Amino acid sequence: MSSRAKHPKKEVEEALRYAEEAGSRVSVGGSHAWGKVYCPYDDEECRCGEFCIASVWSTPKNAGNHARQIKRVVDNCTTRKRHLQAAQKKAVSE
Amino acid sequence: MEYEFTLKFKLPTADASTSTDSLVERLGAAECDDALVGVGQPGRVALSFTREAKSASDAILSAIKDVLRAIPGARLIEAAPDYVGLTDVAELVGVTRQNMRKLMAAHLDFPSPVHEGSSQVWHLESVLRWLAGRDGSYPIDQRLLDVAYITMQCNLTNEARRLEPLHHSRIRKWVTA
Repeated sequence: MSSRAKHPKKEVEEALRYAEEAGSRVSVGGSHAWGKVYCPYDDEECRCGEFCIASVWSTPKNAGNHARQIKRVVDNCTTRKRHLQAAQKKAVSE
Repeated sequence: MEYEFTLKFKLPTADASTSTDSLVERLGAAECDDALVGVGQPGRVALSFTREAKSASDAILSAIKDVLRAIPGARLIEAAPDYVGLTDVAELVGVTRQNMRKLMAAHLDFPSPVHEGSSQVWHLESVLRWLAGRDGSYPIDQRLLDVAYITMQCNLTNEARRLEPLHHSRIRKWVTA
């Protein structure tokens, strides 16, 4: 696990770890903003576009909702979905 | 009620060289702390909101107002979810894509797409309303339906600024008759 600072909200920290486990990089810094999540994929077919870099609030209006928003970006990443599907197919055929 | 939706904006030329960090700080100061802000595309910003409000239109319009307060001159590109493919609808409703495709093939009254080509695009609202009208076999979240209706209104209104009055009045006579 990286040595970055922890997010003060438990749910948000958990979502950040979920993103990191999916390969995202988390950088810390800001005032209203706490930091940013960078999607590991950087390709032309990616539809996530704007959310490939997502800004995380220090004190979101609702920590649970903010955590869900972060997880959704990870889950909706089209490139990640494609990689997962390819891995599943490979596992089945082996 | 909590409403979930996404707004995408083009940044004004005045902010073309503003750092994304300071744009995000401005959004934070303008009560957009109920959204996740996406800054992955140069010249653009996207906000995925979970907003508490009395109605979907209150939620979406207050969000647009907050963004414009933070970034005056920003232009709405798209309110989502509105334009969708079958896969998107299937995911939102919680059925498989094959299931949606079968439904479409089996029913002549399935809503027509707004675009048909290498891919097909619908207004989400039209498909949800059709599904909702089918004897409860597809339970549709009323909040999602309300959001889809308002995002469609936003996108149509936004597109309408391209209308040229002369053509508009001549075309309307035949197209909406």
